[in-house]
This record gives sequence, structure tokens and C-alpha cells, in this order.
Amino acid sequence: MGAVAKAQTFWRSAMEGIRHQPFVHAVSTITLAIALFTLGLARTAAHELDRLVGSLGGEVRVTVYLDPRATPEARAAVAATLRSGSMVVDEVTPRAALDRLVRELGPAAESLRGLSDDPLPPSLEVRVPERMRSPESLRALAVELRAMPAVTGVDYGEQAVERLSAIARAVRWAGWVAFVVLVGATLIIVSATLQLAIYARREEVEIQKLVGATDRFVQAPFLLEGALQGLAGAAVAIAGLIAFRQTLAPQLGELLSFLRLPGVTADPRPWMEALELAVAGAALGLSGSYLAVHRFLRA
Amino acid sequence: MIQMFHVTKAFPGDPPALADVNLTVEKGEFVFLTGPSGAGKTTLLRLVFCAEPATRGQILVGGRNVARIRQGSIPFLRRNIGVVFQDFKLLPHRTVLDNVALSLDVLGVPRDESRHRANRMLKLVGLSHKTESLPLKLSGGEQQRVVIARALVNEPALLLADEPTGNLDPGLTQEIMSLLSDANVRGTTVIVATHDLVMVERSGKRVVRLEKGRIVSDAGGPTMVRRVG
Repeated sequence: MGAVAKAQTFWRSAMEGIRHQPFVHAVSTITLAIALFTLGLARTAAHELDRLVGSLGGEVRVTVYLDPRATPEARAAVAATLRSGSMVVDEVTPRAALDRLVRELGPAAESLRGLSDDPLPPSLEVRVPERMRSPESLRALAVELRAMPAVTGVDYGEQAVERLSAIARAVRWAGWVAFVVLVGATLIIVSATLQLAIYARREEVEIQKLVGATDRFVQAPFLLEGALQGLAGAAVAIAGLIAFRQTLAPQLGELLSFLRLPGVTADPRPWMEALELAVAGAALGLSGSYLAVHRFLRA
Repeated sequence: MIQMFHVTKAFPGDPPALADVNLTVEKGEFVFLTGPSGAGKTTLLRLVFCAEPATRGQILVGGRNVARIRQGSIPFLRRNIGVVFQDFKLLPHRTVLDNVALSLDVLGVPRDESRHRANRMLKLVGLSHKTESLPLKLSGGEQQRVVIARALVNEPALLLADEPTGNLDPGLTQEIMSLLSDANVRGTTVIVATHDLVMVERSGKRVVRLEKGRIVSDAGGPTMVRRVG
């Protein structure tokens, strides 16, 4: 009999607490809503950054220079090895390479006149799949290719890949640090605000304890209030994010079009994002109220 | 029901509120604690329901040593003790009915049953017409009766009342004492701290007198003269 009756008592007590101190609870809810809205924006930014890094990674091409004296079978073996690893391979003959160089040099191509017919080596241009675009994978691929007898050199824009990867790593770390700071600051503000609510009800807490209430009985309504505030904050944040994406995001995309970003895309799983924010809100609200009530009961 | 052995309670910078107190209260007894203000009556009651720890000595309540009780076990001890506070300690924003039912809510009694039992108790103390009133709308005597109803609603084994008739007129004093006597008749051990000597003398019950934290007399009740601690 006890658990259901107690749950009903906690619910009524939480509702009464919110009704009696609407201002304090509104401050907590707004704080949580701002934090969750910021987290939602940061999540969108991280998603877009990942896509940007992915799209730049698409530019990474590996050029494999082949020995002109190697047999056609040996060269074909190199191409076959690459294709077996799901890579797209374009064979570039010395003639085609020279034509391309002439095109790229334009009028300066006159300087190539004195060269032999095939001054450039045959090569393979390789587009690597997404899963292999990390510096480690590309380095391993280069080592493997250089060991093949028909290969004289491998170029994969090592420095550019390393730099891009370092930028992505730094942005991710900065994101985590910002996340921890934001969550910490939110917890401090929410717990301090809720402590005001608990302090205003200290007499009630004292009387409950005098008639035999356990600490858990005293804590439960406050925790429920915290969770409800978190859910309300999440609802406000979700509404804010929807409004942002429908009104400001397209304009922002146009303003930043010179960056040639891939463009802000709609989240493929909007319900999942809403669920994540709701869970994060409830967890933040619960943690904030737990800290507040725990500190109060130990004081 | 209660056994105190060489109990001392001292607050820093003050003379001891209780000094080497030995007291035994049997199950089903009705005991008055008397003495001038500052004699230690309230402190003694607070030690029994674990609102304060004793500085020295042992206190057994219902066979449990409260000097060694864990913090987490105190609520369970208090559920067997009804307390009538001198300053009422009623929740101002809750109705009379909710205030009385609070002792049952804490136990997890279903709402319907707790309200039914609270109503019955309010009828017993003559306040069935005030169930939906807020405490601050009631007179002092009515608030005192609400507190008694809250203290008795879960039928505790022990009732502690701190000046339950303070500031009440003689008619109301008699009413309150009748309520406490009725609870005692139903089997509850009752300890009343008071300095209303007229009421104490008229009752013919056991009287423990405290002065400066020491028991100076213990007389009356079923065994006429007791040990002085």
C-alpha cells in the first residue's frame, strides 16, 4: 500500500511547492531552458562541423606513382589491391598527365617544349572511402603501397590531412570543455535557486521530520519538482530550437555562404533529439535539486 | 517504556540543562513533568524523541537505546511517539485535515484511509466542523486540539506534550487534559511537561519535579513515592 500512496503524496507536495513559489520555479525552468537550448545549438553545430570535416575529407586523394618499367601485370596488381579495399581508382597514363599539366600551366606550358614525349610517370588516382580518411589509415595505406615493387611513390597530402584532423580534434575538445562548463554552471544556478525554494519550506521539512519522515520522504517532492522543471525547460528549449531552425538558420546560412559550408540540414531524427533534450533536462533538474536538498538536510 | 540512566545534557557556555537524571516511566503510565521555566522539562522531552543527543548517559525508549541510534533510524522511532509542541508546529498553508493526516502520509497510508482516520480523530477532539480551515484561522485552543489530533492519529505508544495547556483558559485546559487522559486510557503512555500546578494537583497522577536540571521529587501515581534522582 505504501509506495503508491507515497508517490501520490510526493506528486501533490511537488505541485503545491510549484504553486506556492512560481517565481523561483520559473527562474529555474528558464535557466534550464537556456542551458538546454545552448546544448541543442552546440549539438547542431557539432553535427554540421562533422559534416564539414567529412566533406573536406572527400577532397583527400591519394596519388600512387608507378614505375614506368614495371610490367602491365604488376601495375594492374596495384590497382586491383586498391579496388579490393573499396577504393575508386582512376588510371592516369603519362600522356594524360602531361595533357593535364599543359592545361593547368596555360601559356607557361611553353617551357615544357624541350621535354621528351613521356616525361611524367604513370600513376593511379585513388579516392578513399570515408572510413579510411583518418591520418592513421592513410599513413598505413601509404606504407603498404610503398612496399609494392611497381610503386615508386605515394602522395596523399599528408600535412593537410594532419592539420584538418588536428582542427577537428581541437574543436571536439573545446566542445567537451564548453559542455562541462555549461552543465556545471547550470547545476550551480539551479541548485542555488532551488535552495531558496527549500529554505522557504524549511518549517514544513522540520515538521515532517518531527512526525517521522525519513530524509528520502523529504527529498522526493523536491526531486520531482527538479525533474518537472527540467522537462518544462526541455520543452521550451525544443520550441526555441524549432523556431531557430525555421527562421534564423536559413538566413545565417545565406550570410555565411562564402564559407561554402555544406548547409545546415534538418536532423534526420528530430524525435530522438527531443528525447535526448528531455532526458538531459530531467537529469539536470534532478541533479540540481538533489544537490540543493542534500546540502539543506546536512546543514 | 522510558528508562534514563545518569543522563546529562549540557549546552556550551551554559550550566547543564539536565544533570545526572535517572527516570523510569512504565508502559501505560501518565506522568507530569513540572518545575519552573528553565528547569529542563522541554530538554528532557527533546532527548526522548531524539531532537537532541544526550551529552552523557543512556536513554532507552521502548527498549531502544537512543544514545546509540543511527541517524537513519530516528524517523522510525518517532513514528511511535506523538508530540504536542508548545508552539504547535502546524503547516500554515495546509488545511486542518491535511495537518492531522501528515503523520499518516509519512507512513504511506493511502489518502482515503488517512483522511478517514484524520476526520475521526478531529471528531474526537471536537473539530469535525473545522477540517477545511487553515490553522491560522483557528483559536489557540483549537490549534492545540489539532496538534493533539495529529499526535494521536497514528495511535503512538508514547505521547509527549510540552505545555499543552499554556495560555488556555481553565475550561479549555480541562478539555485538553480530558483528551490526553482518554489517550492514556486507550493504552498510550503520556508525559506532560507543565507548570500548571493546579491542574497537576487535581489530576492525582505521578508528578516528577525538575529544578535546575535535576529531579528533586517524584511522587504520586500508582506507587506513591519514588526514587529521587
